Amino acid sequence: MKQKNSLPAVFLTPAMGILAVLALVPTAYAIYISFQNRELSRPDGSLIGLANYIDLFSDRRFINAIGVSLTWEAVTVGMTLLIAVGLGILLFECVSPRTRNLLALLFLVPVILPRVSAAFVWKFAFHPLYGIATYPYKAITGQPLDLLSNPATALATVALVDVWQWGLFFAVIVLKLLETLPPQPFEAARLDHARTWEIYAFIALPMLKAPLISLAFVKMIESLRAFDLIYVMTRGGPGIATETLDMYAFSQGFIESGRISYASSMAVLMMIATSIAFTFIWKRVQ
Amino acid sequence: MANIVCSSVDKQYGAVDVITDFNLDVADHEFIVFLGPSGCGKSTLLRMIAGLEDISGGTVSIGGRTVNDLPPRDRGVAMVFQNYALYPHMTIYDNIAFGLKRMKVPKAEIDTRIRAVAATLGLEPYLTRKPTELSGGQQQRVAIARAMIKTPRVFLFDEPLSNLDAKLRNHMRVEIARLHQKLKTTTIYVTHDQLEAMTLADRIVLMKGGAIEQVGTPAEIYERPRTLFVAGFIGTPNMNFIDVTTEKTEGGWLLRSAGGNFSISDGKFALRHGQPLVLGIRPADLKIAEAGANRMSGIADLVEFHGNDALVTFLFAGKEIGALVKASACPKPGDAVTFAVEPEGLHLFDRESGISLLKS
Repeated sequence: MKQKNSLPAVFLTPAMGILAVLALVPTAYAIYISFQNRELSRPDGSLIGLANYIDLFSDRRFINAIGVSLTWEAVTVGMTLLIAVGLGILLFECVSPRTRNLLALLFLVPVILPRVSAAFVWKFAFHPLYGIATYPYKAITGQPLDLLSNPATALATVALVDVWQWGLFFAVIVLKLLETLPPQPFEAARLDHARTWEIYAFIALPMLKAPLISLAFVKMIESLRAFDLIYVMTRGGPGIATETLDMYAFSQGFIESGRISYASSMAVLMMIATSIAFTFIWKRVQ
Repeated sequence: MANIVCSSVDKQYGAVDVITDFNLDVADHEFIVFLGPSGCGKSTLLRMIAGLEDISGGTVSIGGRTVNDLPPRDRGVAMVFQNYALYPHMTIYDNIAFGLKRMKVPKAEIDTRIRAVAATLGLEPYLTRKPTELSGGQQQRVAIARAMIKTPRVFLFDEPLSNLDAKLRNHMRVEIARLHQKLKTTTIYVTHDQLEAMTLADRIVLMKGGAIEQVGTPAEIYERPRTLFVAGFIGTPNMNFIDVTTEKTEGGWLLRSAGGNFSISDGKFALRHGQPLVLGIRPADLKIAEAGANRMSGIADLVEFHGNDALVTFLFAGKEIGALVKASACPKPGDAVTFAVEPEGLHLFDRESGISLLKS
């Protein structure tokens, strides 16, 4: 009995050990240096308490980054789910099961593509002179269209790539979820004077509430990690139009000034904010 | 209220014919039961009338209007499914109200109608619950309420009691019968249970392999089965079948079997000399008798106690024959038994075609 009880510990210890070294140590260290005034150009630093945190709130670029990050979350999560539900229902309603499977396979390709590759492909597609996506506009108006250099369209254009990758993938998941639902409630609804859209709005989607919420959560977490996509496509530009929090922290820490403590304080704030936000949303949903 | 007319209705799935040339007139207020073994096409037919399946050929009309191309919601039908098909995320109240809301009935009227229907079906205590919190019988009652509240022109029931246990099934069967007595809505009821069919139906449509075997009142189907299949399908315990050959005698016919002969008088059946036939006798028509005509003797092999009656099985002409006798007078296994059958208890079918030879 005693041996049996220690078995889980035996298996868990190495994994927890590696996790501690790789994740907990850097996290703890980041918290520690966020209270210092360390810079990459100097080997020493001293404790300055909460000064970094206080500075952050008078940093307009930081406030802008919060706005960009929130917009990014809302747009990518919202659009991904909208596209996924819309496209999933469209496939379920209008396409034969055989074609459906073929299309599902096709829709999986974007998400399989590494995000850096996807970013490069689309960056080139949006090129004002040679891009295929901007070519029709150029052919009709004779003017080049530079979506990524326009502060008004840059974030939406990058979001489009994110939604292209995840919206199509989630559409396949929604389709498969719809296929698992029992058909009888739909038939009952058809006899209950429900139109097609009413069947989905009042029967199918409420029946899929739990998995759809899970999908939203997955996408929310995934959207937080869009650093690589934005980095390749715009590097936070033009100006600071697409500079999310992680992008700003990265450039503060490594690119522009090497203010590693200042960047760490930003990272710590992000960690606290996301933990609180997700806990709150999770509790609300449950 | 409405009559239903099916004329030359066909259904194919790809190259497979599921229903061929189905013709039926259902009168207003009538309670029709589609009865048949699994896979005979009875549910498919019901779903075609409901509009849940396309009609491959022929026409279906409800209340004088052809409904082939109408969506289910415009046909004026309501359906009760075998597995209830309630909306799992809605309360019972919302389940029942769903159709009326879609029809844009005012809220106050919906509420009055739901209270009335819930009272009829004894659902008042459950209106705020979710379907999963109810037992099977209660769920099916909700499904009936949901169908009833729309005051449809036609009720369709697709094996509504198959998922319930035996006791509840009897109870619900009586409730459905009472409901029809009260509402008098034209009803089509699909089942594979002959007891439900016999007790509920004004007329039974007995189906096999996508075609009608016989249409008639329960008594007609029981007493004058048109085919060997109908004779074997209806009646518990099953009808006994014995292979016989005809021989003309003075004023009648002799039916020769391997176990003994039966004699019948002229007139009731259309027979030829030397015709190979199947003789059918219901177990209840066999009476213990030492004398008289048309006797069958054997050794009691198995005695099944049914309560009031007992089913005695014995070997006759190489076949197991069952006879239903009073439990008080029942022989023991191993006893020699002799049964006699009255001429009215004899059914004759052509051995080739299976068609009854009864003169109409």
